Amino acid sequence: MIFDDLRAIQSQYGYLPAEQLEALSKKTGTPLYRIHGVADFYPHFHLSPPPKVRANICTDMSCHLRGADALRMGLKQHFRGMSEREVSVGEVSCLGQCDGAPAVSINDHIYRNVNSLQAEALVLTALGGSQMPEMPHEEKKTGLAPDPYRNSPQYGAVRQYVRTKDWDGMIAQLKASGLPGLGGAGFPTGIKWEAVRNAPGPEKYVVCNADESEPGTIKDRFIMEHLPHLVIEGMILAGLVTGAKRGIFYLRHEYEAQEKTLEAEIHRCYAEGLLGADILGSGLAFDLEMFISPGGYICGEETALIEAIEGKRAEPRNKPPFPVTHGVWNKPTALNNVETFANVPQILMNGVDWYKAQGQGGAAGWKFVGVSGDVRNPGVFIIPMGTPMSEVLYNHAGGIIDGKKLKGFAPSGPSSGYLPASMVDVRLDFKSLAAIGSMLGSGAIVVCAEGRCMLDMALNAVKFFRNESCGKCVPCRMGSQKMVDILTSWTFGEGSRSDLKLLDELSEAMKLTSICGLGQFAHAPLTSVLEHFRAEVEAHVLEHRCPEGVCPMRDARASTGTFKVPTGAFKVPTGTFKVSTGMFAILKTRPE
Amino acid sequence: MSDQIQLTIDAIPVTVPAGTTVFDAARMNGIAIPTLCHQQNETPVGVCRVCVVEAGGRVLTASCVRPAENGMKVSTNSEKVRGARRTLLELLMADHPSPCARQRQSNDCELEHLATLEGVTAPRYPRRLSPRGQDDSSLVIAVDHEACILCDRCIRGCDEIRHNDVLGRRGKGFNAGIAFDLNNPMGNSDCVSCGECMVSCPTGALTNKSVVRTVLPGEPVEAEELKQLHYFEKVSGTFLELNKNAVVRRHFRKGEVVCREGEYGSTAFYILEGTAHVFLSAPMAHVQTGGGATGLFSKLTSRLAGRQQDRREGENERRKIPIDASVDLPYDNPVAELGPGDLFGEMTCMSLYPRSATVQAATDCVMFEMLRNVLDIMQRNKTLKAQLDANYRKRALDDHLRSVPIFSSLTEEFIDSLRDRVELVRYNKGDMICHQGDIADAFYLIRIGFVKVSEVYPDDDLVLAYLGRGGYFGEIGLLGEGRRTATCTALDHVEVVRIHGEDFHRMMEEFPDVRQSLELVAQAHLEQNQQRMAVTSNVPLNQFLTQGLMEAQSLLILDLEKCTRCDNCVRACADAHDGVTRLIREGLRFDKYLVATSCRQCRDPLCMVGCPVGSIRRRNSLEVIIEDWCIGCGLCARNCPYGNINMHPFTVMVDSPESPGRRMAAIKQKATSCDLCTEHAEPSCVYACPHDAAHRVDPTKFFSAVLQQTVTGT
Repeated sequence: MIFDDLRAIQSQYGYLPAEQLEALSKKTGTPLYRIHGVADFYPHFHLSPPPKVRANICTDMSCHLRGADALRMGLKQHFRGMSEREVSVGEVSCLGQCDGAPAVSINDHIYRNVNSLQAEALVLTALGGSQMPEMPHEEKKTGLAPDPYRNSPQYGAVRQYVRTKDWDGMIAQLKASGLPGLGGAGFPTGIKWEAVRNAPGPEKYVVCNADESEPGTIKDRFIMEHLPHLVIEGMILAGLVTGAKRGIFYLRHEYEAQEKTLEAEIHRCYAEGLLGADILGSGLAFDLEMFISPGGYICGEETALIEAIEGKRAEPRNKPPFPVTHGVWNKPTALNNVETFANVPQILMNGVDWYKAQGQGGAAGWKFVGVSGDVRNPGVFIIPMGTPMSEVLYNHAGGIIDGKKLKGFAPSGPSSGYLPASMVDVRLDFKSLAAIGSMLGSGAIVVCAEGRCMLDMALNAVKFFRNESCGKCVPCRMGSQKMVDILTSWTFGEGSRSDLKLLDELSEAMKLTSICGLGQFAHAPLTSVLEHFRAEVEAHVLEHRCPEGVCPMRDARASTGTFKVPTGAFKVPTGTFKVSTGMFAILKTRPE
Repeated sequence: MSDQIQLTIDAIPVTVPAGTTVFDAARMNGIAIPTLCHQQNETPVGVCRVCVVEAGGRVLTASCVRPAENGMKVSTNSEKVRGARRTLLELLMADHPSPCARQRQSNDCELEHLATLEGVTAPRYPRRLSPRGQDDSSLVIAVDHEACILCDRCIRGCDEIRHNDVLGRRGKGFNAGIAFDLNNPMGNSDCVSCGECMVSCPTGALTNKSVVRTVLPGEPVEAEELKQLHYFEKVSGTFLELNKNAVVRRHFRKGEVVCREGEYGSTAFYILEGTAHVFLSAPMAHVQTGGGATGLFSKLTSRLAGRQQDRREGENERRKIPIDASVDLPYDNPVAELGPGDLFGEMTCMSLYPRSATVQAATDCVMFEMLRNVLDIMQRNKTLKAQLDANYRKRALDDHLRSVPIFSSLTEEFIDSLRDRVELVRYNKGDMICHQGDIADAFYLIRIGFVKVSEVYPDDDLVLAYLGRGGYFGEIGLLGEGRRTATCTALDHVEVVRIHGEDFHRMMEEFPDVRQSLELVAQAHLEQNQQRMAVTSNVPLNQFLTQGLMEAQSLLILDLEKCTRCDNCVRACADAHDGVTRLIREGLRFDKYLVATSCRQCRDPLCMVGCPVGSIRRRNSLEVIIEDWCIGCGLCARNCPYGNINMHPFTVMVDSPESPGRRMAAIKQKATSCDLCTEHAEPSCVYACPHDAAHRVDPTKFFSAVLQQTVTGT
């Protein structure tokens, strides 16, 4: 397995020296270009010696809102005297800690809610070679509403179905429930599993997509932490019903804590006979292994994820054919999101009627949503599907920070685009959001308070897509960069009316011709702000001013002329940052 | 599923076999869908998206990868499709260096053509800011990453069609590009120069480097015929077609001369049939200047003398003369035979050095004569390379090893045991072969090309030597502390024989005399280096260095306050050297002194670079010596930046090439440099100066003295 070999080399040398790659190529007969192709593609691998301290600050949506840019620039400024070989301060794509923004990765240790003093202290700790402090482990929550095993032994559905072997019944139940794919696309799970079940051939796979990487998306992390048994049971059930003997749990590498939780759970399942060659004495087999992603948002795209499992560059495939017939190693594959798998035992244990009754306004089931950005109480919440957004924002997430008003929100990170405050009563379900031109997606709610510049937010979101584009197809590779270039020029007051038409054409072409969802939705942040916040955008483009005073604006009419660092966003919750070295004892929250 | 699929394309009902793509279905029915990344001979990948069509569904679909389905309604040219296609082309054109190399060369850049067709003339998108660069390292293919559209056609050509497995994608997103092996320069990769990538490329990203200006005499060889030879097995036919004029078949009748020593050329020869003799026609001798006559000045005469007649201090003992072929020539009788499968003239072809020997057809011969792009293709062919390596191991390794004087005692058995263990390694111009401070793990013998040996000093590198064919390096590190004491860099196309450290140590154990002499050499080297180090650190002024004066070991200086410009020194030099002066009374000035040009025995002896037979080198005293087998090509004289090497003509009797057996008079040249008139107590020029203005001095001592005077005002 190429990633294991590369990881072994990297853990020994700290990077991938060319001689070692040449030796690996000789040993395994893998051509050099292929080794280089993957080593150069995934952010996890380094082809040159790393600096002593690599401080990477997440600058995507939620962290951007919570002052990541100021944190990054401050840190860079603070260590400007150090050479690049000692300290490098850079950006990193969403670390999946949006409820603890801003998040920072220092030598691959991830910290939440970091202020500049803490960040400086952490860099110094790493520079001094001391033991890095650990983030406190989240306490395990029990008795959560969607857990059907609050009062009964876990894995009840597996126990039941290995006895009855009523596979058609299981498919029928899932189809009747209408359980949609909760990774964002909403494809009916029952139909997908039936297709894999009916696909010919003995070799099939079940894959759990736990590569959650879209800014704002943190719900899978929560589910894996608190309800791992539901996800694994869902995978076992998928294996049993489709006839797949192997399951692969594809987890993003930053989720080290969840990796441990899941490994312990898998270990327990093997010990209890729930996994293995003979599940609970039924003669049915299903093995489950973890696959740690070498990184990148694109790996969350199902066919890119499959390419990664096969040890290649995670470049999405052309569809059709779909993974249900041509998945891992071109074998039929049931590939679903963490939350989808976690829903299956609920439906099978409690029945379709119970499932449908959990939702609101005609929608069915529970939904896990992550709320981050300008809210008082960011986090993951379990809500009935169909709950109005306003209820989530004001009841669960505690309302907008600092008593401010809501300006806009993204129902699901960058790909859903931004909606205005006037739409805050929209119900959170697939149909309602699609009806207003947005999407439920992965339930990654990112909230913008008044005073935020929506063009700045759109640019931030498009930059994310640009950074994470795999580069395989022209529209996404070229289009996302050109879009960033043009939007950046707008924030400097260098736009013109013709740009608006040009970007309309570009958005349309990217939507129509990109291979995968990344390129197809990369325009959404822009298109949505043009639709809902047009006056604000046009002020930038036509009048060369930023109404909120956020964008740098070179033009004299923009009054400030310098980059204005958003202030007031640096509220660091106390008490969550456990100090293990005593180093932070003197540090208080950053004065505002 | 039925075997036939029915669909409509642009409202035309169409029936195609199952499995046909929409692209092919359209094409079979006369509808051409534009594309950039798709070629009929490669697996479709659907990355350029230019071939998108409407086929129902939320988005457009790439027709090259989309199988036709029953009842599908396809539009290939709707407003939606055309709009998207135009945007894609506009995006690509925004970063395209228009007109690209392909457009300039042959007016057929597919991107530029398609863009023009679709009316994309002035792209409205901002141009890319970060440069992607060019790669000029391959001898035959020019790489311009700026023009790359990442269509993957070259990648599929390399990996799928030719199975050479060299090309792939690097990076990610907007920073993605094509890469050879571990993102090496193309010329340093395992690329075999088959040309498939270049003929697959739709733009100017990979183009043929046109070296074909000269029309070679002889009959052109058709690409089809070349492809029959196993050396060209994997090479793309189009590529051979493009380089057609770079290889010709030549017939030589018995006795005909193929090439002459000292001539410039740019081709190599590969013998298909027949045998040829390779020999040196220049006399085996050096210029000897002797006294004998009397007069006011000791009048000297120059004549040619071999080392038997005139032993010079520090003269080489070698019995073999290295030449640009797979054999070496014996000193005593410099003739050898080449046969079918032999390649000669590689150095001339790769690095444009003069021919090192004369080759004459011994029987009727058929040869390929080729320019360096074809030679490069051939040499990168594994079959041919293996054959050339085998030839070398079989025929030349002994000679090569034994031509190094200190190895002359190696036994036959020992060399036999080395035969399969040595490695033949190629380096390109500028490649570092070993670096000062690295762990020493091998010993190197140079087969082809020149290697610069330099030491790192605080301000600059000091060139210790230029080594040519037959030269060797790496022993000091192996014998000493296990670290490289100097950096060795390839100056041009270099091929070395690499003897592994363990084999070298085995040699040292088995042959104590070799060890002893090597140790002496190594020690001398080290001492010399230390001395040099001392000299360099004593140099008081950068000015000296910039003028190159300190480069010299010894200088002829003229005190301008005393000199009356009578030119007696020059005349004396000419008189002493058969009328050919080796002194020119011109040069740089320092204070009141004129530094006359005569050999300065530079620290960076450029004269030694390129000698095709390796006959110019340094004695241990660092003076330049020209060995007997100088072929008189004059390269060193041209290379010397100070004009201090002169060509001295002599009339000698040689075998007539036209009618073998008959002797005829011919004028042959020999290179000479100032010999300090070692025959005499004082150089002629100094002796001849009537004004006591000429002095030969050690520059370091002299200038420090002068400097002290200038500084202290005394």
